[in-house]
Amino acid sequence: MPQDLIRPMTSDQADYLRDESRLIGQAEWIAFPETEQQLREILASCRRSGRPVTIQGARTGIAAAAVPAGGVVLSLTRLNRVRGMKQNADGRYVLCAESGVILSRLRKQIEDRHFAVSDWDEPSRQIFEQFRRDRTQIFTPDPTEATASLGGMVACNASGARSYRYGPVRRHIQGLRVILADGQTLDLQRGREKAAGRTLNLTTEQGGQLRIDLPTYALPQVKSAAGYYAADDMDAVDLFIGSDGTLGVVSQIELVLQPLPDQIWGVTCFFGEEEQAWQFTEQVRAAGETGLLALEYFDRQALALLARYKAGHPAFARLELSQRPFGAAIYCELQGEREDQLLEAVARLGRQMEHAGASPEDSWVARTAFDRDQLLFFRHAAPECVNLEIDRNRQREPSLTKLGTDMSVPNDKLPAVMRLYREDLKASGLPYAIWGHIGDNHVHVNILPRTAGEYETGKTLYRSWARQIVAWDGSVSAEHGIGKLKAEYLALMFGEQSLSEMKRVKNACDPGFLLGRGNLFAPPEGRKTE
Amino acid sequence: MRIVVCVKQVPGTNQVYLDPETRSIVREARHAVLNPYDTFAVAWAARLGSQHGWETLALSMGIPAVEKLLRDSLCRGIDRAVLLTDRLFAGADTWATANTLAMAVRKLGGADLVLCGKMAIDGDTAQTGPELAECLGYAVVTDVTDIKEVSRSQVQVSRHTESGVQTLLVRLPAVLTVAKDSCPTRMPSIADLARGASRPLECWSAANLGADPDRIGQRGSPTRVVCTETPPMKKQSRRLEGTLEQQAASLECIIREIVS
Amino acid sequence: MSCDTALPGAGGLWVLAEHDQGRILPVAFELLGRARQLADRMICPVAAILPGTVDQAGVSALIAAGADEVLTCADPALDNLPEDPCTDLLSHLVRQYEPAVFLIGATHWGRTVAPRVAARVHTGLTADCTMLDIDPKTGLLLQTRPAFGGNLLATIVTERHRPQMATVRPGVLPEPVRDTSRRGRLLPVEPPPLTNRLAELSRLVLPPEQGIAAARVIVSAGRGIMSQKNLALVRSLADLLGGQMGVSRPLVDMGWAPVGCQIGQTGQSVAPDLLIACGISGAIQHIAGLGQARMLVAINTDPEAPIFQFADVQVVADCVPLLRQLVRDLSARRKDGGLGSEAAAP
Repeated sequence: MPQDLIRPMTSDQADYLRDESRLIGQAEWIAFPETEQQLREILASCRRSGRPVTIQGARTGIAAAAVPAGGVVLSLTRLNRVRGMKQNADGRYVLCAESGVILSRLRKQIEDRHFAVSDWDEPSRQIFEQFRRDRTQIFTPDPTEATASLGGMVACNASGARSYRYGPVRRHIQGLRVILADGQTLDLQRGREKAAGRTLNLTTEQGGQLRIDLPTYALPQVKSAAGYYAADDMDAVDLFIGSDGTLGVVSQIELVLQPLPDQIWGVTCFFGEEEQAWQFTEQVRAAGETGLLALEYFDRQALALLARYKAGHPAFARLELSQRPFGAAIYCELQGEREDQLLEAVARLGRQMEHAGASPEDSWVARTAFDRDQLLFFRHAAPECVNLEIDRNRQREPSLTKLGTDMSVPNDKLPAVMRLYREDLKASGLPYAIWGHIGDNHVHVNILPRTAGEYETGKTLYRSWARQIVAWDGSVSAEHGIGKLKAEYLALMFGEQSLSEMKRVKNACDPGFLLGRGNLFAPPEGRKTE
Repeated sequence: MRIVVCVKQVPGTNQVYLDPETRSIVREARHAVLNPYDTFAVAWAARLGSQHGWETLALSMGIPAVEKLLRDSLCRGIDRAVLLTDRLFAGADTWATANTLAMAVRKLGGADLVLCGKMAIDGDTAQTGPELAECLGYAVVTDVTDIKEVSRSQVQVSRHTESGVQTLLVRLPAVLTVAKDSCPTRMPSIADLARGASRPLECWSAANLGADPDRIGQRGSPTRVVCTETPPMKKQSRRLEGTLEQQAASLECIIREIVS
Repeated sequence: MSCDTALPGAGGLWVLAEHDQGRILPVAFELLGRARQLADRMICPVAAILPGTVDQAGVSALIAAGADEVLTCADPALDNLPEDPCTDLLSHLVRQYEPAVFLIGATHWGRTVAPRVAARVHTGLTADCTMLDIDPKTGLLLQTRPAFGGNLLATIVTERHRPQMATVRPGVLPEPVRDTSRRGRLLPVEPPPLTNRLAELSRLVLPPEQGIAAARVIVSAGRGIMSQKNLALVRSLADLLGGQMGVSRPLVDMGWAPVGCQIGQTGQSVAPDLLIACGISGAIQHIAGLGQARMLVAINTDPEAPIFQFADVQVVADCVPLLRQLVRDLSARRKDGGLGSEAAAP
């Protein structure tokens, strides 16, 4: 029976060998389970034959976690139903969705209050009736790539701009169904399955016992998606969130919705100098503006790149840009229940601009859906331009890829890390652009190498920054996950001892080291081949 | 010289719910927005006003909540705003709307240039602009893509036609209905918000306009909606079942029957 | 309804015969066809109104399509249908002859001139009707169009004002079979004093786009396509089938596709042999543009999507992977020389 479910890869399935990291892997087999039962049969069969399994969602990740390293590609794209709805103890709506559900589609369903409820159970339908009449709800995690799958977002503990206020995916997951490598299933609820100290005992639905000795390390006090989550008395769900597809296959996710704030305004503030933007960030953060959802940064190079693409590329013609060249911009997103509150908050931002040496004339306030779309287009244009730029460079030098960092530091290291990036990049002469979640001291440095030599220079820089950031108690991956591309930095951040503790966890859940091979760390010697 | 820009509030979404009990249309008020085409009319007015030092005024007919949209226009560089709001205006068709707006423009002492969006996305008629021009006796050009060479007696405009683009000289006073993306829009700055808050915004009633109740609102509308219905269904329909591959295969058979 | 035939066209149904430099547009014939059917029930004449110069063949075609009378005003100043003088002329004729009904094609020109005439003679006008009928009890023209954001059909009447004016989009009504044996009168009329406040400086004729209005196969996309990137799949399938890509209005509003691709009440009306609608929920304003499709295939994840009520074939599926699969299957077959190789050849 699993022979039908696991089929040889055909030449027209090459798409499944890569993800947005543009790394290309290899695999012999591919499976598209449509039910959890099929998923279990596939895993049990792989376990028997010792075939490694790489889990894939929508392949929008950029750390290559979904790129197969031989064996079977397990695509969850057809596990894409929303199965029901409930309400948790806090009165929040909780959606039960399969892990192949696409974020943008889920958002639209939530916004339209329209789900295919015909196969939902009666309690779910009753809650849905209430949901339909209630105020609009939202699932807050907002990674830039809205076509991500929920499973992928759980695997790397994704976040996005609004996690400045709402936190990463982890904060919005109430429960998970996990299929272990041997086909056994775990039904995990936050608050129900918990560790005692650093020991987690789990019982599978089939009655199997699982004892996991959790790592003993303390996680950095910054936004982080690097390494297994570990804390005293932690919830079992938190171990699987951010585990990069190495501990089990998440088949179903319970995600918690929030009421959508009545008003959301976007304010883009422009600054003559980058230092002013950093200072503004620190001031606004210190002032504790309560309605602030996001603080996003664009450096001088990013603004210049946008200006160049607006002039030369019809797709970016509708990009709104200021007439004058600015040194930096900060996008602030504010929420509130009443317009006058927001007007006051915006006026406070204006005063902070003046305090940082900028003028409140040099800002855009988006209060309508139309204007917010303009700002969203502006924010998303930066990564699009970088991808086009890299594609152009690849025509001359096909081996090139983008070098994008994803590191975070504690609050007091913000100006230092920004200066470090800028000075090293200036000295190297590499083309680059920086943008990202400056509110969490987490910006993406994008290096755009034109030659193989520049690529190597960029990698050297990246390595040296990772070392410095680890020394500052930062994280080498704040939101993209470690995957295959950043395994080296994970070792740097955690050290041998902690890494072996992570491998101990891996061994308890997946003794054959079959799942997500090459993610986080290399499999132990002797298990590298089938 | 004076520019009047006419704007309309529309539901922000095409999602309307039919209340199963009352059979009436339910629209969520919080999603009301400025008609997207009018965004460009406002942008043109602000731009021409500041370039030529002309007075700009935003005009709308609607419920009191429309004040918020007019305030937004004031933040985008329009000098003053007038909201025509009165129960007597309710239920107006395009002619009654145009007639009411025309009375307001006359009360203001006329205009040299009246700008409107090409159409409103809720009614989709594109009639109010040309009807307003006739009520005022002004010239009119619809679907304008560009405005240039503005003088005190005429403007040069480009517009879409069936076969391409036409450039015209229009004698003022004139009504222009503008196309989407015809003008770069400008978001207000933090400083603009403060300025907009202090600009004058008045509300006028039917009595303020001296309007004849038989020529405004539902009573003054030549057209009347006699019934609404959900559209008829299609005859027989077949559903393709099975897995994605099976559905694709069945669909391919159907396509091959037609395209061969 | 009583009909006074003392004056040409009086109390009758009028249709504006819009033309492009003397070539009468198809929408005029479409309107005449429907006017003829309605006039036979009202027992009153149908008149075609023809400003500017059109040759005898054009006039005969109008009569063959259903006109009893053709009112012409062959003033060379009207040949290019300038809007100001045409508004003067049409308002003048309406006041003089008092027709019961006046139908105009909802072309760029018609959508400007019809509201001007309606306002000048102070009557009602219904834009973009999809159905026209006569109420057997009152004799009023029933003007039906999508309304309320396109989710309902509204029927509108003009009770006390005359004429009852309506516009209809090109392609919405079928073109009538012409009867060359029909007889009709040609009635030249004198123009009133004409004014013009618009001076044409230049006219740029753009090459006609490979329009979707005439396409035999259309693959169209709505919000369910999820991202602009996925439109490439839609285009690929259209190319494989030798067809065109269409979209619903939200995609145009988001700037994902040019307005020329838009199907619907405010976009293009289409009449293909095959229309594959991907991720389109089916607002009536959209359905209004595809009523003439011979075979409608709808793909949507939501089994309750309204579009399924109009579809010949329903596919409850995510359109993106389904399109991917179809494109893959069809390109494989095309390589084997199986399908559509002629139709799809550039």
